[in-house]
Amino acid sequence: MNVPIIDPLQGDFPEVIEEYLQHGNMKCIAFNRRGTLLAAGCADGSCVIWDFETRGVAKELRDKDCIAPITSVCWSKYGHHMLASATDKSLTLWNVVTGEKIARVTLQQTTLHARLHPGSCTPSVCLACPLSSAPILVDLNTGSSTVLPVSVSDAGNGTTAPHPRNKFSDGSPPFTPTAATFNRYGDLIYVGNSKGEILIVDSKNIRVHAIIPISGGSVVKDIVFSRNGQYLLTNSNDRVIRVYENLVPRKGAAKELEAMRSLDDEFQGIEKLKVVGSKCLVLFREFQDAVTKIQWKAPCFSGDGEWVIGASASKGEHKLYIWDRAGYLVKILEGPKEALIDLAWHPVRPLVVSVSVAGLVYIWAKDYTENWSAFAPDFKELEENEEYVEREDEFDLMPESEKAKELDINQDEEVDIVTIEKDSAFSDSEASQEELCFLPAIPLPDIPEQQDKCFGSSSKLEDSNHSGSPFSIEAAQNGQAMLPTSSPLEVVGNSTAEEVMGTTGLKRKRRPSAKGLELQAEKGRKPLTKIKPSAKLSKSKNKHGDGLDTNGFVFEDDVTDEYL
Amino acid sequence: MAAASTDGGAAAATHQPYVLRETLVGHKRAVSSVKFSPDGSLLASASADKTLRVWSTADLSLCAELSGHDEGVSDVSFSADGRYLCSASDDRTIRIWDLATAAPLKTFTGHTNYAFCCSFNPQSNMIASGSFDETVRVWEVKSGKCLRVLPAHSEPVTAVDFNHDGSLIVSSSYDGLCRIWDSATGHCMKTLIDDESPPVSFVKFSPNGKFVLAATLDSTLRLWNFSAGKFLKTYTGHINSKFCIPAAFSVTNGKYIVSGSEDNCVYLWELQTRKIVQKLKGHTDTVIAVSCHPSENVVASGALGKDKTVKIWIQEDEDQKEAE
Repeated sequence: MNVPIIDPLQGDFPEVIEEYLQHGNMKCIAFNRRGTLLAAGCADGSCVIWDFETRGVAKELRDKDCIAPITSVCWSKYGHHMLASATDKSLTLWNVVTGEKIARVTLQQTTLHARLHPGSCTPSVCLACPLSSAPILVDLNTGSSTVLPVSVSDAGNGTTAPHPRNKFSDGSPPFTPTAATFNRYGDLIYVGNSKGEILIVDSKNIRVHAIIPISGGSVVKDIVFSRNGQYLLTNSNDRVIRVYENLVPRKGAAKELEAMRSLDDEFQGIEKLKVVGSKCLVLFREFQDAVTKIQWKAPCFSGDGEWVIGASASKGEHKLYIWDRAGYLVKILEGPKEALIDLAWHPVRPLVVSVSVAGLVYIWAKDYTENWSAFAPDFKELEENEEYVEREDEFDLMPESEKAKELDINQDEEVDIVTIEKDSAFSDSEASQEELCFLPAIPLPDIPEQQDKCFGSSSKLEDSNHSGSPFSIEAAQNGQAMLPTSSPLEVVGNSTAEEVMGTTGLKRKRRPSAKGLELQAEKGRKPLTKIKPSAKLSKSKNKHGDGLDTNGFVFEDDVTDEYL
Repeated sequence: MAAASTDGGAAAATHQPYVLRETLVGHKRAVSSVKFSPDGSLLASASADKTLRVWSTADLSLCAELSGHDEGVSDVSFSADGRYLCSASDDRTIRIWDLATAAPLKTFTGHTNYAFCCSFNPQSNMIASGSFDETVRVWEVKSGKCLRVLPAHSEPVTAVDFNHDGSLIVSSSYDGLCRIWDSATGHCMKTLIDDESPPVSFVKFSPNGKFVLAATLDSTLRLWNFSAGKFLKTYTGHINSKFCIPAAFSVTNGKYIVSGSEDNCVYLWELQTRKIVQKLKGHTDTVIAVSCHPSENVVASGALGKDKTVKIWIQEDEDQKEAE
């Protein structure tokens, strides 16, 4: 009978920016399975792991070899390992708990998207999607890689003349991007190729089991499964997001497909693969913006698969479009004027996290309206006026009904105080005790009486702007003081001038004076209250070598000097 | 004690009485709180003499004495890994102590009146604290930042507790209400209210997080089903009209509710039948704190100023009894 009063799958969508996270220049994000930790890859090659509940930095993964900007991060199934791909063509596998590098592999090309095999707790195989060639399966222990087939008819990797429709609008020759993803248990890989087809490839023996052609035949840029594996979406160059229903059973999918192949003897070769394909995926919906024909970026499903979200970064905007599965556009969320580069929906809560080009991570959440009846249960909230009809004996001195009221609670019923109910949001029955939900929080020691030091002095805290040493509080909050042994210079994740996107006004760098640092530190803090997208935050400059990185976000047209 | 229900009957008939094992002396003023560590190896006690004492449960010797608070300490709580202690004090601060070095680590300031109660969440990355300033504050352990200030009550907050997965916080107050909050967002989920609203002196979640045990200053303990907003069981027989006396669930050998009382005894009730199965006598002042060992049948209790001791009670085994 005990209905939990917080519904874990709150089935709704976010509406406003609640908060933003700032630590270095973040480029890509990924939630762990339960949404308790958020990993972010930075422009300086480090990865930051945020404790999402406290919105504080839990760990930084840093190594002297990894200095190139990270292009994607991916958690292992139970959150013990993390894979990061960087622009120096490398893939690095980290142990999250110890913060150490486990393996590092250098490939021939930079990987845009790297995904760890979802089926095992300690995966050693990952799928890497490079910028302009076929996806490869990489074994992280041996470093060997296997190229996946991207098409069945020709032998090469799309070396034939590309379809004219697939050229970019400025006439430059297209890459042949191919997107790929594992299915839920990792036994199949779904590859979307540049001819507009989805290939289902067996991850063990690299055989193509099925082909599903997409109408329009344009390049597939992204291919993503929903969390329960029931739906698949593709984002194509023709600016349409297509959602398919996955008909293959989730467990033992590869075997099913093998069986399907051997059954059908009517067709041969490609035809046969297409027939099998038609039994695997069925087109469910198409989403597009008919008016502005937006090229979608980073589309994905909500945690429960009810909503689809796609982002638009055209003309430097930061817009999120949310559709329900029936195909209706329910919301357009507009963020600050910084182009969006990555997006993730929280696995269980109605929260969306988006990364902007300025390296900030914005958290979008539902606009909360206070539930007043939670505070006073004997009151009932009314939507509109109700006529009240009083009882016959309401104004009697001793009303009948009140006399009759008695405690009819059966106090002898048995009560169970120890059995814990399983969380319905997560269906996996495999031992979830192994799962890493939280990183141990080690309190940073207060340093008594030394207000000017960089590390850890948080003794005088209020919950809004402090007047105490901004330096140390700033450092503590932004997690700069993570590694006490390293100096402030190393800790700061500053992006070089080239990396900072030319669209923002962060072109000038100069060393402010000490007073300026103090003022900046005060302003550049992450606020605890809600921010509406139109809120203007103070601008601060990018500093080098001062031990403090306080990139506020910058408006393109507004380069003013607010201090001194 | 032939009770009707099956579980109750068996347990009541074979309830092993607890006997006094040891009296731990050392505090110079009233003891305010005792807690066992999650692994059961340590026992912490807080006192009005501004110190905390940490005892080893194996040999009941003093491991550490932690001083640093400027005023008396009202509550103490262990982190989930047993490495850190947090304490709430009349000096308006919450402090974290590192048990490995027996030294203070962090101080959380922000409350504007006495800090009365504190609790780590199961993940131990947050601490909730209640105070006489009528608010509940949620602090981040790592940085010491105050994450939230919940406008919890209109009278001093007497107890805070997290549920087993850390998603809910329950708080109680002299204003007669128990409120349940979502710890992730700080929104109020529910208020538990009864017809008469005697001041609630203590509240705690059951081990499975489905029920809430509330103690009120009319000498009653109630077990509430908070989703339904109705209470299921009432436990009476003790005296509690002045002090905030905590209660505990004892689940290691049959299910009991354990509470202190102002008549200097520790009361044990059977959970299902609500009957008093034992009264532990020995203290010479109000028993203001009780705690149950997580895995063994050991109960610790602490008493006020005339007594100043912590007593350890154990259940004698059959073998031990025969050997004597």
